[in-house]
Amino acid sequence: MMQRRVETRSANAAPKAGRRIPLAGVLSVIGGLVLWELVSRYLVANALFLAGPLQIARAIVQLAATGELWRHIGISAAEFALGYVIASILGVICGMAMAESAIAKRIMQPWISGLYATPTIALAPLFILWLGIGIWSKVLVVITLVLFPVTINTEAGLRTTSERLIEMLRSFGATPPQIFFKVSLPSALPFILAGLKLGIGRGLIGVVVAELFGSRAGLGRLISASADAFNMPDLFAGVVVLAAAGIAMTAGFGVIERRLVPWTRD
Amino acid sequence: MEAKLAIRGLSKWFGELEALRSLDLEVERGGFVSVVGPSGCGKTTFLRIVAGLEPATAGEVLLDGRLVRGPSGDRGFVFQTDNLLPWRTVLANAMIGPEVAGRSGEGERRRTLDLLKLVGLEGFERYFPRQLSGGMRQRVNLARALAIDPQILLMDEPFSALDAQTREIMQTELMRIWEEGRKTVLFVTHQIDEAVFLSDRVLVFARRPGRLQETVRIDLPRPRGLAIKRTPEFVGYVDRIWRLIEDDVRASVIEEKV
Repeated sequence: MMQRRVETRSANAAPKAGRRIPLAGVLSVIGGLVLWELVSRYLVANALFLAGPLQIARAIVQLAATGELWRHIGISAAEFALGYVIASILGVICGMAMAESAIAKRIMQPWISGLYATPTIALAPLFILWLGIGIWSKVLVVITLVLFPVTINTEAGLRTTSERLIEMLRSFGATPPQIFFKVSLPSALPFILAGLKLGIGRGLIGVVVAELFGSRAGLGRLISASADAFNMPDLFAGVVVLAAAGIAMTAGFGVIERRLVPWTRD
Repeated sequence: MEAKLAIRGLSKWFGELEALRSLDLEVERGGFVSVVGPSGCGKTTFLRIVAGLEPATAGEVLLDGRLVRGPSGDRGFVFQTDNLLPWRTVLANAMIGPEVAGRSGEGERRRTLDLLKLVGLEGFERYFPRQLSGGMRQRVNLARALAIDPQILLMDEPFSALDAQTREIMQTELMRIWEEGRKTVLFVTHQIDEAVFLSDRVLVFARRPGRLQETVRIDLPRPRGLAIKRTPEFVGYVDRIWRLIEDDVRASVIEEKV
């Protein structure tokens, strides 16, 4: 008979090495913060140029207490969420169209490749001119930044589906829609998720930079207003909140990835 | 002889290359028939045409007297590589055939579980392909083809990627499974001893163009154990088939080197 082989590699060994928080990493972060605090207090010692970690923490607490921080976060979050969701849906649809139809690919390819490499964020002032300084100009900026990585990854994922797996399904008399949903889509899922993950960082950049160009509220607005007033603690408070949001969303995405595409873990 | 599968004047061209020339043959109901030949003799192309994965240039394939036009659930294909879906468990992989046919009820599930037991995978139903050895994956491959309860099993060198010991075990396992259900089997291989061990008849193909050179009837008692491979009768069959294809194999080896 066959030996009952069970691989423990992915179940046990990997997390032990990967999940344990490395001591060196923690010390490095703490050391960096201490150094920053010392430099801001004794070396620069000028609140107009640099705020220390403790000042920033205090600024965040104060901004939160007055409710101002939540207003900025709410606006920026709405801009990001709207743009990100719209771009994700559009991107997956465009990617599917390009993978399934040669004509759609030929029509869209030059635009996708060209605009992906273009810093479309430079169009933000134009969008503000068109749509005003409300949230929709920012939503549009986020869309132009998130759409292309999602489209490109979706198309690549669908296109690289194993021919052998498709043939296997075909041998059972599967129809093209069955092949799409049972083989192509699941096998493209890791690529699509990677594109969406890439979109998080790009979308956040889009929100902030677009707000810098002109807005009434939002974290980008908080940052630029604080800079104009030489209020370094508030400026850094905005940056820290943005960094935290980016880290949290990327980490959350990792959890979703592990749940949705566990077979890619190795 | 009642023909389960009948091939009439089957020819296949790939552009300028004549892959198969005018094949005429029959496979009897419940028979185990192997196709052997040197590489480039068109044996895999032949099997793919029977499966409906490849169109023939001329001639016809008849299953139970009905013309084969494309892939369908009446033929179960066992692939050379296991082609398992990595995101599906063993059970869900084996169920894909019935699922495509729109049957995925409790009855089908229970039948598939029985099949997994038959191929020796009881207890592994919830495993993912990456957790299985090569031999076990080929067992899933076989169970998946059997799950649609096909009229004929088409097997394309299913054990060629396995190591020698596992291959011998899988040959006896296949014999055990076949004895239980007596499905009609068309089995393509390049291993002469594998073909002799498993088959009622061995179809020997020649190359350039691919064509049926000779049919060798294997009169060895069933059920067969691995020990039969050491009997003079068995060795005699292997020798005879080897002599039939020897020149062709030498020619193909030289060509591949060039």
